[in-house]
Amino acid sequence: MEGLPAPGSGDISLHNFSVRLWEQLVHFHVMRLTDSLFLWVGAAPNLRNLAVAMCNRYDSIPVSTSLLGDTSDTTSNCLAQRLARKTKKQVFVSYNLQNTDSNFTLLIENRIKEEMETFPEKF
Amino acid sequence: MESCHLKDSTMEARPIVTSKQKVEVVCGVPTQVVCTAFSSHILVVVTQYGKMGTLVSLEPSVVANDICKPAISTRVLLGQDEPLIHVFAKNLVTFVSQEAGNRPILLALALKDKSVEGVRALKEVIRSCQVW
Repeated sequence: MEGLPAPGSGDISLHNFSVRLWEQLVHFHVMRLTDSLFLWVGAAPNLRNLAVAMCNRYDSIPVSTSLLGDTSDTTSNCLAQRLARKTKKQVFVSYNLQNTDSNFTLLIENRIKEEMETFPEKF
Repeated sequence: MESCHLKDSTMEARPIVTSKQKVEVVCGVPTQVVCTAFSSHILVVVTQYGKMGTLVSLEPSVVANDICKPAISTRVLLGQDEPLIHVFAKNLVTFVSQEAGNRPILLALALKDKSVEGVRALKEVIRSCQVW
């Protein structure tokens, strides 16, 4: 689509998309790096927390840790873990929505996966 | 294609975070810089490995101080916590924090070239990705 994103070329790609869920416009911002991914989710442009997850050989569940913000809010952690398992990359997630209901976060996750399928080169 | 004439299409909604990106050869090393503005933070990625590398948080002190600029404290969130990383972090992005109204900075740093000239040149690349 755009030039040749030669596989393995370390060029960082940026990608934005959004979805309207439960009367709320949710924005996504993705930065694809070499073997890693940064994903921001929010309705307003703030960055309140950050978690990272990565696969390891000892456990099928990726390890994750909270890097910034309220450590008792595990939404970013969980999402990072699930995306790390799917992509096999190191995944940074910043989830900045008030709604952390699991039904809602599942919709968020599905929207991300849908975008991943449509634009695999962006993730 | 990027316009938002389809007002109802969520696919076309304008991004609410702005990013600027540069790829440049700095002191012989291919370097990528991405700056992203959030209302609470500025995210600065400076990489010569294509990866996030060490993640450093820079927070200006909240104590009101009329006489001089607020002191900035650095904290390594992920990666090796060595003295040099704090030095690089402060040198590279203190000006970003100051120019962005003393906003905290999140810096992802993965450097091959750790020379003083390199840092100086990197600062200029960061400046050219101004989103604040």
